[in-house]
Amino acid sequence: MRYIMLFLLPCIAIFLQSTLFSFFSIKGALPDMVLIFVVFFALLNNVYKSTAYGFLCGLMEDLYMGRFIGINAIAKGLTAYIFGKLQGNVFKENIFVGIIGVFFATILNAICLFVLSIISFDTFHIDISMVYSVFYQIIYNVLVSAPVYIWFYNSSKEGILRSVGER
Amino acid sequence: MENIFRDAFTPLQSGVSEFRHSWGGFTTVFSDKKELSQQLQLLEKENKQLNFENQVLREYKAEARRLQKLLDFEDTNQANFDLLPARVIARSPDNWYRYVIIDKGSKHGLQKGMPVINYDGLVGRIGSVSKNSAQVSLITDREVAVGALLQETRDTNGIIEGIGNINHLRMVNIPYYSKIKKNNRVVTSSLSEIYPKGIYIGKVIDISREPNGLLLSATVQPAVDFDKLEEVLIITAYHPISTDDEVEE
Repeated sequence: MRYIMLFLLPCIAIFLQSTLFSFFSIKGALPDMVLIFVVFFALLNNVYKSTAYGFLCGLMEDLYMGRFIGINAIAKGLTAYIFGKLQGNVFKENIFVGIIGVFFATILNAICLFVLSIISFDTFHIDISMVYSVFYQIIYNVLVSAPVYIWFYNSSKEGILRSVGER
Repeated sequence: MENIFRDAFTPLQSGVSEFRHSWGGFTTVFSDKKELSQQLQLLEKENKQLNFENQVLREYKAEARRLQKLLDFEDTNQANFDLLPARVIARSPDNWYRYVIIDKGSKHGLQKGMPVINYDGLVGRIGSVSKNSAQVSLITDREVAVGALLQETRDTNGIIEGIGNINHLRMVNIPYYSKIKKNNRVVTSSLSEIYPKGIYIGKVIDISREPNGLLLSATVQPAVDFDKLEEVLIITAYHPISTDDEVEE
């Protein structure tokens, strides 16, 4: 059940981002729910599982969008790897760990996407609007992350996302 | 004797009658209040239902207005374009790409590269097609470029590029001697093989000189409000109007 849920989470996130959240965008910016789930997973699991989950979630996003396959997979995999490395040194019970994690993850993910885009596209337009877009996304992600972290943490400890070994 | 008895009982009877009357009124107040309260609840419920219906009808009215505009647009352009209406069902889930998903696909004859418009102007082009849906890359997407010219002067050819911002486009490759001004209308040029000539793209809101000094660039406000995009028209085929000169040639 845990794995089904972990598979469904990015699907639900993509569905919500492309439908519901697009009506409530902040200056055209949408939250990255997939990234939020990846970061929370990385904060509560080991580095290998986190990297694999980040990569697969990113790949799912890339396949849905059908553009440059792999760009989100690499960016989210890398973000998950860094947060998976850090997870042993943070106090996960604190909700601010989740919020601050999402704050830095959004910046890190944007930098990865930006660099990968420049490497991959010859005609990639660098514009100040991209910075604004990331700025608004940080606000949106942080706002969404608080309730999601409470649910994710509780589910990982005692609910549907608890791993079999911990039961 | 009879009258004496009657008179003796009269105050008592009238007292009882008075009491009955008052008590009756008192109970009526309560029973009326209960009834009124029930009526008020019913009316409130009915009011809420009517408000909801009103809201739904307003939504239908707005939709009907939009569809009417689309139909009018379709009718006026029928001679030039074969248009297929479609509804926007989803949008790009991230901030890097700008596209929408429409409810028509290859089953309805859509192909990759077909231009997409609405009654306000150019929307974009079909990026990819599946059986029942298609992805429309908006002109605000960073990967989309459109050949454009100024409607008033007709002498300035440039390229409209998306910069990922839904409110702005960039027009580049404008010669330095161009007479481009603010509020000039930008339309598609005949340079593009994808887009028919003369479709309204937006208006110039700012002009700046490129660092090399030989070219100008302009910021263009798109004619289409991409935030409120709900219905679009796909140009499945277009028949360019040939002028007399072109016919002679």
